[in-house]
Amino acid sequence: MNRTVRWTVVGGTAIAMSLAIAACGGSSKKTAGTSGGSSTTGKQGGNLTYLAASDIDYLDPGQTYYTFGFMVGIATNRTLYGFLPNDSVKTVPDLADGAPVISADNKSVTVKIRPGIKYSPPVNRVVKTADIKYAFERAFSKNVPNGYAGVYFSSIVGAPAAGTGPIKDISGITTPDDNTIVFTLKDPQAALVAQALVLPISTPVPKEYAAPFDAKIPSTYDEQVAFIGPYMVQNDPKTGKTTGWARGKSLKMVRNPNWDKATDFRPAYLDQITIQEGNSDLATASRRTLSGTATLCCDAGSPPSEVLGEALKTQKDQVQFVPSGGTRYIAMNTKVAPFDNLNIRKAIVAAMDRNALRLTRGGEILGDIANGWIPPGIPGFEEAGGLTQNTDLDFLKSPTGDPAVARKYMDAAAAEGLPVKNGKWTGADKILTIATNADPGKKTAESFQGQIEALGFKLNFRIVPQDTLYTKFCGVPAQKVAICPNVGWFKDFPDPQAMLDATFNGKNIIPQGNVNWPQLNVPAINDAMAKASLLPAGPDRNKAWAAVNHLIAEQAPAIPWIWDKTAIINSKDVNAVSDSYTTTHSLPFTSLK
Amino acid sequence: MLRFIVRRLLWMIVLLLVISFLTFIIFYLLPAADPATLRAGRQPTPELIATLKQTLGLDKPWYVQYWKYLERLIFHFDFGFSYESNVSVRSQIFDRLPATATLAVGGAIVWLIIGVPVGIISAIKRGKAPDRVAMGGALLAISAPVYWLGLVSLYLFSKGIGKIGLFKGQGTYPNTGNVFTDPWGVISSLILPCIVLAASFAAVYARFTRGSLLETMGEDYIRTARAKGLAEHRVVFKHGLRAAITPVVTILGLDLGALLGGAILTETVFNIPGIGRLAFEAIQKSDLPTIQGTVLLAAFFIILLNLVVDVIYGFLDPRVRY
Repeated sequence: MNRTVRWTVVGGTAIAMSLAIAACGGSSKKTAGTSGGSSTTGKQGGNLTYLAASDIDYLDPGQTYYTFGFMVGIATNRTLYGFLPNDSVKTVPDLADGAPVISADNKSVTVKIRPGIKYSPPVNRVVKTADIKYAFERAFSKNVPNGYAGVYFSSIVGAPAAGTGPIKDISGITTPDDNTIVFTLKDPQAALVAQALVLPISTPVPKEYAAPFDAKIPSTYDEQVAFIGPYMVQNDPKTGKTTGWARGKSLKMVRNPNWDKATDFRPAYLDQITIQEGNSDLATASRRTLSGTATLCCDAGSPPSEVLGEALKTQKDQVQFVPSGGTRYIAMNTKVAPFDNLNIRKAIVAAMDRNALRLTRGGEILGDIANGWIPPGIPGFEEAGGLTQNTDLDFLKSPTGDPAVARKYMDAAAAEGLPVKNGKWTGADKILTIATNADPGKKTAESFQGQIEALGFKLNFRIVPQDTLYTKFCGVPAQKVAICPNVGWFKDFPDPQAMLDATFNGKNIIPQGNVNWPQLNVPAINDAMAKASLLPAGPDRNKAWAAVNHLIAEQAPAIPWIWDKTAIINSKDVNAVSDSYTTTHSLPFTSLK
Repeated sequence: MLRFIVRRLLWMIVLLLVISFLTFIIFYLLPAADPATLRAGRQPTPELIATLKQTLGLDKPWYVQYWKYLERLIFHFDFGFSYESNVSVRSQIFDRLPATATLAVGGAIVWLIIGVPVGIISAIKRGKAPDRVAMGGALLAISAPVYWLGLVSLYLFSKGIGKIGLFKGQGTYPNTGNVFTDPWGVISSLILPCIVLAASFAAVYARFTRGSLLETMGEDYIRTARAKGLAEHRVVFKHGLRAAITPVVTILGLDLGALLGGAILTETVFNIPGIGRLAFEAIQKSDLPTIQGTVLLAAFFIILLNLVVDVIYGFLDPRVRY
């Protein structure tokens, strides 16, 4: 999604929690961070400014669901499990004191937490597992709108329908002692639940402090969050009111006086981090960063290509590329004529110059041409064939388009009785296409429009804001939108199921908020997904999902065109560390030179 | 006079109601993002969307929604809460207003200081080199879009990225404080934005002042003043300019009113946390309560300043009586 909402599906089985990395969690001598995969040692102290276009969504860990919010959350709070900046595949215990214990019947998850971790002022007390239980209970209520509780944690015994009622006790979450929490499940979904504990919902919330705020609908805890991370948003130490957050203007993070370095794997070199918002002109913000001091940029995507190109020539060490772990594609609605015809879809995919589409986003430096839906960095990518996955299919073979192959499939469609003459579509109906109204997506859509019209198709081409595109058109099957040229899906977890299930499983087509944009519903694919989802993490699972990826490509439901990378930049005096999980900067690992 | 003011104030209320209604209807009828679906997250159930709609008050028919909005606005001066952040729109507006007001007033001072004298000189030196240079410059300034001029000025004159770092650049407006609590911080950060904002206005005011003054200077009473042997500067400033300035005051009121509602481009280019940037961001996010609030504020200032101008007219022009 354009705003990189962390929408994804957690794999059906757990990726093994890395005990080797878990050991790092308890060390008090960790001064090594990572930058571009190499180890660096940071200098202690200093203030940093982060130039951002917009604000974070929420500070409240029960509500945040956007990448930028996650970036701040990782600096200011702690989840049960997390990731090291250069490895978003293996989880590491954060608040947890080791790997989760999954019962033999796969119906319970037990986690122990580190003792002695304290909340920031004004709470100032030690974290208890009852706080995590409360965090879950509030996230299931309508007081605390949460974007994923019902998706990943609905199997917990006693979990109510997410977002529809008041805060209730969840009987399936128990705390035998202050350092142990047990999730008891209705279904054998323990692996899924264990993996999802990296999400901010597992951040503890002190009930006695938060309950008055949570009594309101929506909760106002967002303005009074209690922090346990190395940093905290500056607040009034008596009331907890966040004084350092001026909505839409700036957010100031200072050291959390109650944070104990010995309990954390984050080095937290900096003394203060200020996010300056409103820098919507990326060209100027990028130039300010590159020529300035102690500055990072940007939350809203890569710098404009002219700035980036210049920087790569003269300030290469100030630029990092982070794989987004996602695929951008043009969805064709398989339920709407003429895209209900497989040959027509194949012809369009074959005709498409995907390199031209990529150029609208900045060209080769900002991503590889996509040939499928398992992007680099996701398990199953190699098994699927890597960068050349699915190129055994003639219509996906040429990244610049193949008119001869397109003609072959157009002729095949003509043979089926469709209005095609001399390889061109002759149908009179205009095809409803909903594109975004903002660049670079608009340019991509216009490039697509030119190319598809060359095949004879006439479009009813409408442009709307990206959010409108998703919530009123492409995500609402009843609208019968034929083409959505500006959709994309990005990882939340490094799992192939997360990339393919929500987006191409026919069982996931829903009336509103639908993300199976092509509305692909092929029983054989749905069954293959069901089987693949039961496999444990490892080569077999990867192979199974790679096969699903191929089955999807055979149906040509969409035109995959880029596995993009995000360019993030920093000032010369900053040892910037990228975070492959949030695809932004890792603030607790970044330091000044 | 009092009756006139009361009548105009009543009309102001009617106009604001009409504007709020139109804004609401436009938002309701045109395709805009569904706030409930946006908030619902991934793969939402219909029940979850329904609950969120209820929470946001979007489950009622449009006329009920509008009536409730009016109720809150009129009886509690409550503009509602942002769909995006749950923050009170009223508090956001009051928080952003000082930046916009300072920018608008600062800009107005700059354009009046530049525009009116240039217009007077042009009128006095009509057809001569100063007039041609001034009017040529004015044409250039009018033709330069604010966002272009803003970016060019940033790349030329701002500290950090400018070729000649003379002024504070983008994002330097203090996030806390205002012109009273942090006067130097605010003023120094607004020098460049005020100049950019004032450029095209100064050009318009120069042309307007020139035209108006030329017209006035052709009047019989000016000839009479000269025939009486008054010094030329007295003729121009005491007799000519006083009459010529009246239409300038009119457009000043309108312009200032419009700017108090938010100088969207200038605030966005220079990252000034004012009403204009708030409106810009709200439009991008289909955040109706915030859009409504900023539109109503802009309308309020335009109507109010119009009224003020009409009242001032009475003092400037003895022929005007209410």
